[in-house]
Amino acid sequence: MRLNLLRTLALAGGAALLAGSAVLAQPTSLDTARKDGEGIPESQWEPTRPPADPHDLTGLWEMPRVGVTLRLDDGGMPPFTPLGASENKRYDDAQKAGNVIADAPTHCFPHGVPRLTTAPYPIRFVHTPGLIVMLHEVAHNVRYIHMDGKPAPANAPKTFLGYSIGRWDGNTLMVETTHLNTDTMLDTRIGHGPNLKVTERWTKIKNKLGNTILRDVITIDDTERFTRPWSVTRDFAYRSDIQKDRWSEGLVEYSCEENNRNVPDANGIDTAK
Amino acid sequence: MIKRLTQTTALVAFGCAVLSPAPVLAAGDPWSGVPAAERPAAGTPDLNGGWIMKDRPKAIRTVDGKAPPLLPAAKAEYDKRQAALKANPASDPIASCLMHGVPRIFYSPYPLLIAQEKDRVNFVFEANHTFRVVSLTRKPPNPADVDPAWLGYSAGRWDGKALVIDTVGFNDRSWLDYSGMPHSDQLKVEERYVLKDADTIEGRVTITDPKTFSAPWTTAFTLVRQANYQPTERVCVRDHQM
Repeated sequence: MRLNLLRTLALAGGAALLAGSAVLAQPTSLDTARKDGEGIPESQWEPTRPPADPHDLTGLWEMPRVGVTLRLDDGGMPPFTPLGASENKRYDDAQKAGNVIADAPTHCFPHGVPRLTTAPYPIRFVHTPGLIVMLHEVAHNVRYIHMDGKPAPANAPKTFLGYSIGRWDGNTLMVETTHLNTDTMLDTRIGHGPNLKVTERWTKIKNKLGNTILRDVITIDDTERFTRPWSVTRDFAYRSDIQKDRWSEGLVEYSCEENNRNVPDANGIDTAK
Repeated sequence: MIKRLTQTTALVAFGCAVLSPAPVLAAGDPWSGVPAAERPAAGTPDLNGGWIMKDRPKAIRTVDGKAPPLLPAAKAEYDKRQAALKANPASDPIASCLMHGVPRIFYSPYPLLIAQEKDRVNFVFEANHTFRVVSLTRKPPNPADVDPAWLGYSAGRWDGKALVIDTVGFNDRSWLDYSGMPHSDQLKVEERYVLKDADTIEGRVTITDPKTFSAPWTTAFTLVRQANYQPTERVCVRDHQM
């Protein structure tokens, strides 16, 4: 019942209106939230306090609200080139017709960037000499952010998660990712070309309730698909509270290859990952 | 966009009352780049970095070079797997991109990264981008309380200079090695890692599984440091068509 109500939430554009219902069924955990806009009320975004050091991202972070679909922060469509628009329409039309075009994570390949960042699963940040490692619950993805100050090697191959270089700009971790292969999407319907560059700006900030959150301002730079660089913002809550009752320090084993996380609900429906 | 960036900058300035210099890489500091609060206590052995197994065994052996003490039913299962493997390499669970299990994941031909923190040790394997996050502050769970998992549920601790990891709660589907050595869901794995010199880790793994083996037994392996380790993205591609 609750799931059915939640499914009436608009998929895109942020118009989270519940048709024909006065009761807003609010899931309290992202375990049950899988559609854009679903999630945890903002008052519950800081169950535990993250490290005070702005340069210490250690711990478990999770988007309190699902935000897979990428739009401009004002809700507008990305500035597509004609090719970008036609490809987006092709994916949109297929989805509307019930023939979703599978992308990399459907085949258990790594999600791509920023598709991985915006997947509704927790991320553990680990600082180690020369690297910041991002361990993702979803499909055991691993991202390595190179912090050694060196550019990407000239012979770096194109990969699903690309080559990421990070540096601190004040209290912001700036991560530039290049060398991304074209097997991945930016979200479930927006593709990209071979020269995609993704810049992420990760900063701990206080939200309006005074909670410390981790904000990622993601800038997409891809002249094949977009007429100009464009940005999308995602906020992450510190969720180290779930370390207490989940193993692997809060990251549940997720074997995409055996589909062990698509547990059917009471109606026998397994939700898409 | 410029306006939005300016707003972000303002929020940042407002939001971060704590000022600290950005971490920088310093030559000779094994914890360079790691925030002060996350660094292990002084004197903790430095396992950080890339490692790879030396002399990977095809079939796991005890420290005495003997075959593990399989019970009859488990021996029959092992023989069956070996015959199947000979006929069809795809009968190996990892050929379907399933997780390797422990200790098998260490026997992969690809390197792993060890990243130490005050409260945990992270093992990030290139093989099928598999990771283990091992808490140093928890006790192992009661296996009856957890869902069986490929990598089990681990709790670690420092025993003097040895990193000791106890793992329980495995499923019975992973293999202990590349030859098909079986185990049951009663498997308990104790790993002990000792830094013998700056570039060598000695690993000793004790297997306890009364449904599979007549007695606990121990195997050993050596990990060698990968100088200037650069992680490589590896994906398991069998049967996948993009």
